[in-house]
Amino acid sequence: MSSKRASMMPPAPKPPTSLSSSLVIAEHASLTGTKLITLGSNTVIHPRSKLSSAYAPITIGNSCIISERSQIGIQNEPDEEEADPVVIEDGVIIEVGAVVEGKRIGEGSVIEVNAKVGRGAVLGKHCKIGPLCEVAEGEVLPDYTVLFGNGMRRIDNSGVEDLKMKMVARQVEVLRKLIPSKIAKFQ
Amino acid sequence: MSSFTPYTYFQCPCTEASLPNHRNPSQEEPSSSDDDRTFDPRAPRANYSLYPLEHLFYCEDCHQIRCPRCVLDEIVTWYCPNCLFEVPSSSVKAEGNRCTRSCFQCPVCIAPLSVSSLEAPPTGLGYEYAPQNGPFVLNCGYCSWSSKETGIEFEKPNGIFAQLARVKNGGEPILTAKERKKDRERKRDFSGTSAEKEREETPEVEIPREPLDPNEKLDPESQFSNLKAFYQGQLAEASPASALGFTGDYGYGSPGALSRIMGLYTGSTAFDKKVKAKAGTMREAQDALEGLQLTTISEEEEALTKLRTEGWHCTSSASQRAEFLNTNAQFITELRPVAYLLRTKRSKRCRTCRHILSKPESKVSTIRFRIRLVALNYIPSISIKPLQPTSSASSLLQPMRPVQFLLTFKNPLFDSVKVTLATPTKTPGRFASKVTVLCPQFEVGANTDAWDEALREGTGEKRRTKAEASEGQHQAEAGKVWERGRNWVSVVVEVVPASLHIGGPEFLKNEEMKDDEGPLKEDEDVCEIPVFVRVEWEADAAHDESGLGGGGSKEKDVREKRELAYWCVLGVGRIAKV
Repeated sequence: MSSKRASMMPPAPKPPTSLSSSLVIAEHASLTGTKLITLGSNTVIHPRSKLSSAYAPITIGNSCIISERSQIGIQNEPDEEEADPVVIEDGVIIEVGAVVEGKRIGEGSVIEVNAKVGRGAVLGKHCKIGPLCEVAEGEVLPDYTVLFGNGMRRIDNSGVEDLKMKMVARQVEVLRKLIPSKIAKFQ
Repeated sequence: MSSFTPYTYFQCPCTEASLPNHRNPSQEEPSSSDDDRTFDPRAPRANYSLYPLEHLFYCEDCHQIRCPRCVLDEIVTWYCPNCLFEVPSSSVKAEGNRCTRSCFQCPVCIAPLSVSSLEAPPTGLGYEYAPQNGPFVLNCGYCSWSSKETGIEFEKPNGIFAQLARVKNGGEPILTAKERKKDRERKRDFSGTSAEKEREETPEVEIPREPLDPNEKLDPESQFSNLKAFYQGQLAEASPASALGFTGDYGYGSPGALSRIMGLYTGSTAFDKKVKAKAGTMREAQDALEGLQLTTISEEEEALTKLRTEGWHCTSSASQRAEFLNTNAQFITELRPVAYLLRTKRSKRCRTCRHILSKPESKVSTIRFRIRLVALNYIPSISIKPLQPTSSASSLLQPMRPVQFLLTFKNPLFDSVKVTLATPTKTPGRFASKVTVLCPQFEVGANTDAWDEALREGTGEKRRTKAEASEGQHQAEAGKVWERGRNWVSVVVEVVPASLHIGGPEFLKNEEMKDDEGPLKEDEDVCEIPVFVRVEWEADAAHDESGLGGGGSKEKDVREKRELAYWCVLGVGRIAKV
């Protein structure tokens, strides 16, 4: 006796996708919606991460890491005009449980655990949104901004971005070995 | 309004001079003074003697409750909370109470800093074993601050404290105190008098260093060491050592000088002339070598231009400056990593008999205690809950409407105890609620093994359980225990909350109300009941006192009667404002 009850509903239609061949996407990742989802090369999509293109297309660059239970894409219906597409540039790490609805997430940014990036927000390059921090809707953060603690922010001048990007690449290499990829399921 | 959790506080007898069990009955009139001594939880002093049971100790020698105020602390070990390294107390005295290894806190956000290499990590076969090579920096994982921002890099990944002490923000080396001393001496010799000394020094191989700049910018530590050296020199000159090695009688800090200072206002003029003569020989620090830091206009202007160009965000916040090292840091770039403050493990002793009440294991990594005489193991705990569960949204007490509360006494002792409760009929304060304990005297069973009890139950011991209580008796009955368990007893307290109405007919007001008719003060609407608890039990005769006496074998069977009496305060709820 199977403990799982199969849904009587027909499966939701797959969203149109444009997937790179070197993408690592877990079988249990969820891609929903009706608009185009573009995933770049060497990007890792963890199991149970949710990408929803119901209201706006999603574009994710190369060498990104999208962790489990993170939610990418506009989550609920936009008020009037069409919502801005969600663009995530290269080398971005989205941690567990983060919600990203921003218009543009700059290269090398890190969205920490359970952080939120509001609709239409623009993050510059190498930004870091600390755990549980929130970026308001439509906010524009300059490059190298670090959000941490209780709404505190600073500009990071440590100049170790190249090193961080290298570390992301290595992390991707490790995850590639750990996460079996099932691109075919989503094409 | 926030929800209210009922609480019980116990009064430590240490603050009360007129302690109930210390009182001398012969001196007092029996009736009236008893009422006067009702403990008033609203008195300003009461705050200092009321503690939750968990915060109290119990001294087995004095048979008394001990609070954090009547124990002595002794430091068992010093340790770093970050690396858990146990620091010997000698090095705490010598090097200060900060971790001198590599434990640092971020100056921006206080998160722990980690050491990382600026080089790309080695790759290829066996890269796990390849050593990282420097330069190394301190990195904050939380706000991503890095010591590179302030221009500090390290050669080695360990011993950061020592490395940091040698480098300024920006990477310039700091002269150590020792080097400074040498320089000072050299300077004195150059400027000074003895040509012989100069000749003596010249053959020494010295590192060629440009002479110290009298206007150089000092960091706080070297400024302090310079100042200290300067004034010590001044003091030594002012009070030249006599032939015997003692300083002159009128030196600064000598007993004579102290008594003179003490006599300043009483007008003893005997020493005045000498003082004036001496004062002439002292001078103040004049330059950086002597620890004087002048603020120059150019510095201020620099700061201003920096503020103008980089804005508010480049300045440090008050909390960041509050750290000892960063007191003078105006800008973020001047902040330095903060070494971790050491923590201590302490043992506690009773102030009166010096008996150890609590002693932690001295090893840092264990959290066990060798000795722990906490009150929780000696006196019955009291918990409060309303008898009729109020499902309504307002948990407030309705004025003038009787409410019943269940007080549950739980006995931690292995002997059964007799408990006697006493409350004033009206709570102290302006709004006097009426209080009645329905069963002021009862016995609480011993804290025996739960299995023993279960077996005994089988033999048919009569015990009133909740089920029985609900069968027969819905109403709390005076003089009867509400519910009883193995080592706990619940009794009912009835409270008639006072009305928080300030104005009103004169005959309804009590004394305090007549004195003060101001508006409702903070927390005055909380109904607090002072309860005097007297606990009596028969314990095995203590080994330390009676056991030492002559007839040892006979006294083994003797049961000793013990009693303990103390005030408690029960906070039952807030009274609704109508």
